[in-house]
Amino acid sequence: MRERAQDGPGLEHWESLPRRVVTVYLPLAVFLFVLLFPFYWMAITTFKPNAELYDYRTYSPFWVVHPTLAHIKKLLFDTSYPSWLWNTVLVSVSSTFMSLAASVLAAYAIERLRFRGSRYVGMGIFLAYLVPPSILFIPLAAMVFNLGLFDTRLALILTYPTFLVPFCTWLLMGYFRTIPYELEECALIDGATRFQVLWKIVLPLAVPGLISAGIFAFTLSWNEFIYALTFVSSSEVKTVPVGVITELVEGDVYHWGSLMAGALLGSLPVAILYSFFVEHYVSGLTGAVKE
Amino acid sequence: MPSGLALLSRLQNSRNALGALFMLPAAALLLVFLTYPLGLGAWLGFTDTTIGRPGRFVGTENFRSLFQDSVFWLSVFNTFVYTAAASVLKFGLGLWLALILNRNLPFKSLLRAIILLPFIVPTVLSAIAFWWIFDSQFSVISWTLQRLGLIHHYIDFLGDPVNARLSLIAANVWRGIPFVAISLLAGLQTISPSLYEAATLDGATPWQRFRHVTFPLLTPIIAVVMTFSVLLTFTDFQLVYVITRGGPMNATHLMATLAFQRAIPGGQLAEGAAIAGAMVPFLIGAILFSYFGLQRRRWQQGATDA
Amino acid sequence: MPKITRREFVKTTTVAAAGVAVASALPRRADAADLSYKPEKGAKLRLLRWKRFVAGDEEQWMANTKKFTEKTGVEVRVDNEGWEDVRPKAAVAANVGSGPDIILGWFDDPHQYPDKLVDVSELAGYIGKKYGGWYDVCQRYGTRDGKWIALPLGVIGNLMVHRISHVKAAGFDGIPKDLPGFLKLCQALKAKGTPAGLALGHAVGDGNDWVHWLVWSHGAKLVDEKGNVAINSPETVAALEYAQQLYQTFIPGTLSWLDPHNNKAFLDGQCSLTNNGISIYYAAKTSPEPKLKEMADDIGHGNWPIGVSGKPTNFMQVTQAMVFKYSKFPNAAKEYLRFMWEWDQMDSWMQKSIGYVTGPYKAQEKSAVWTVDPKHTPFRDVTGTLLDNGYAYKLGAASAAAMADAILIDMVAEAASGQQTPKAAAERAEKRAQRYYKI
Repeated sequence: MRERAQDGPGLEHWESLPRRVVTVYLPLAVFLFVLLFPFYWMAITTFKPNAELYDYRTYSPFWVVHPTLAHIKKLLFDTSYPSWLWNTVLVSVSSTFMSLAASVLAAYAIERLRFRGSRYVGMGIFLAYLVPPSILFIPLAAMVFNLGLFDTRLALILTYPTFLVPFCTWLLMGYFRTIPYELEECALIDGATRFQVLWKIVLPLAVPGLISAGIFAFTLSWNEFIYALTFVSSSEVKTVPVGVITELVEGDVYHWGSLMAGALLGSLPVAILYSFFVEHYVSGLTGAVKE
Repeated sequence: MPSGLALLSRLQNSRNALGALFMLPAAALLLVFLTYPLGLGAWLGFTDTTIGRPGRFVGTENFRSLFQDSVFWLSVFNTFVYTAAASVLKFGLGLWLALILNRNLPFKSLLRAIILLPFIVPTVLSAIAFWWIFDSQFSVISWTLQRLGLIHHYIDFLGDPVNARLSLIAANVWRGIPFVAISLLAGLQTISPSLYEAATLDGATPWQRFRHVTFPLLTPIIAVVMTFSVLLTFTDFQLVYVITRGGPMNATHLMATLAFQRAIPGGQLAEGAAIAGAMVPFLIGAILFSYFGLQRRRWQQGATDA
Repeated sequence: MPKITRREFVKTTTVAAAGVAVASALPRRADAADLSYKPEKGAKLRLLRWKRFVAGDEEQWMANTKKFTEKTGVEVRVDNEGWEDVRPKAAVAANVGSGPDIILGWFDDPHQYPDKLVDVSELAGYIGKKYGGWYDVCQRYGTRDGKWIALPLGVIGNLMVHRISHVKAAGFDGIPKDLPGFLKLCQALKAKGTPAGLALGHAVGDGNDWVHWLVWSHGAKLVDEKGNVAINSPETVAALEYAQQLYQTFIPGTLSWLDPHNNKAFLDGQCSLTNNGISIYYAAKTSPEPKLKEMADDIGHGNWPIGVSGKPTNFMQVTQAMVFKYSKFPNAAKEYLRFMWEWDQMDSWMQKSIGYVTGPYKAQEKSAVWTVDPKHTPFRDVTGTLLDNGYAYKLGAASAAAMADAILIDMVAEAASGQQTPKAAAERAEKRAQRYYKI
């Protein structure tokens, strides 16, 4: 189906409406349905009283007959959910920021500065992914203990870059590569330092890459589970995934309604935040600079 | 001109120093927090360490023992199938979605934000939602299909080995499509529209435009994104752990989940590390493959290649 | 009202916490001096325990802990993790040499790192003597080479939870006491459209509980007394053939069942017989819906059938407290444990836990929790019926690894579902177990 390739902006008025429906709107609708249905499910479960939850014979699983706020109440008031949310935001923002900063510098160094051995460093960064977190967490826990960071958010902020930096570096290397070198050459010949070139020329052009990298770094931090489970004990320091699972699963009884409330409430604020950034990189690109 | 030459040569000299300086933050973070754990993780596989006591070097004994373990080989098989199927689907569907989203659509930014939702939800929690969706007694999919008269019994999504694998692949693809789509979308956005106009004026069909303009220019981004996606999928843990714990009968055990199960509840740290170590050759292969994919630079004008 | 017993001492105990008052007569030897440890100066304790199964459990535990702090001035910080997540944390702590002072672990956790644990033989001896002795299985889990390395806290009882009316309608008067009868019951239940269901996925609690019973009740075992793998035997094949027949009577989907699935299915009325703790009954009893309240009255807890040896051979989750050597305050830790294991605290906690946990020493049989609701009573006597997962050899790294790898669960699942013949499944299990039990 990929043969119906996209038309760039400006060419679309040449396409007929029925064609657009079939090639664009219909597949889009299917995608949206599939991607959003589990959220609909989560939302329904959040508002469904337990009585309706298991009983498919009497109640349709697609609707809520007597919506209730009890699950949300339980989540917000009977657990430390607000502090978990705050912790997760703090940890994710900090580690994303640190990782992006480090990655921008590293990517520029490898891609443009071409210092001796840069190619090996470029590949060496990926060693970080060779041992999965499901094993790495034990020696990493030893380090966290020894550095006195156990049970702090700082432990997470400092360890998350280990899986964020390599990806961001690589992504940015790819974006930097698509920026024509002449622009930098001109600036250099005009007397700019490398840092000025990076800051004033390369970065603005790489904004979509920065935003992509930022979005994914943030999301990966947000979702991370096993390090957060291992390095943090106290309920006030936990992140959302760990806290929700710990508090709302009691032995073999899962409080499904509140669990799903946790999933929803833990994602929507982030999604709303994202919608602003998406706005930004869309508007920053009309009239591509690279003509 | 003499002053120009002098300037360039000065820059040339400082490249290495500057390079080292620029690399410092990343290198510091990774070296401090990663060298010891990675080294230990690799070393453990060659010892007989358990949770309770430190081990001695035993050479390749763990690997030889794993070689004869049918469950280990099953996990290798599962990992490959899972990764290959999920990655192909994520790439295809993600690219398609990116192409669609690149069009002039109403509510563009809202759509693009919504698309990210599966990726934003904490994996642990969306895994629990899928658990319910695939439940053998309470699946909403089965309920719907039964109401429509298409099936008579509820589908055993997670109890039958083949179904369980397909269900997990589906959940993984669901979660991964946004990542691929948004990354590729950003890449698509950097392709200048004038290239398309030129191609169209030359009489290119949409397919030709895609094949000769879009796809080549996207290649470096594709290489990065898909490598990362493959790496993450290969070492996937949370989804499998939450939904099936590797069952039924180990049909959905990936190497990462088996490594964890052997190391922690099982207490056999060294064996878990060995399983994790066994993943390394394949991961290195994936990285090398795409790194050299990144080297193709036909589109670059006037770049100096080292 | 004071009751005169055969002994010289009569004691009336009042439980102060949360308004639950209970009068019980506890026979006590006059010469048992109260053991007491002096906490270190400035001691502060960290306890990691598994997350409560019921609200009352946590409330009472914290109330008891508060009493301890008031009495000794030692602050205790209690952290909770999901019961299965305590194990990675304990593993990390043992490995790293730093972490909580006391951890409530499971099964043979202490046997995986015995040298990292403080010797609690003196404390265990005192408690055993004072409260009628430890149950055998608790002693096996808590001791290694004659020393106590952990203090057993209790057993999470797991029985045959069933719908009384459905079992009657199938023509039975309760859970049959022998294996053939049990099979007939399941077949009858299926014929009546009220089937049974036992977990065959990687359900660490319910799954392990029933497959160990299955294997042991047929006279089979994973290892013999010398530590040789003995699973590949005619008895095992017999057990697996029995499992095949049982599986035919199950509700579909049990191969994917983890621990919560049977609760859901039972409470929805789709499953009428399963093995579980008291959580199903509790969920029904405390539910605001009339339908579930009615079901609560219809729930019965039956004992596991007895197998070929004529003696019970059950398996349930045993939890115990471990004190780590890296703790800076071992005396405070031991005093805390002593305090919490004393009758006032243990009994009040068991009562608020409404029958989830069966105590580790024989005096626990006197607790009011077993009589306050007749449906609790079957859980009182479970501990005496248990074997440990190292049977018939010792507990240790090998037994832990074998259970974590779900060797028995996979074997039963493969045979029951027909994926392997019973003989082949037993052979595969043998090969897998031999990797751990290499002597």
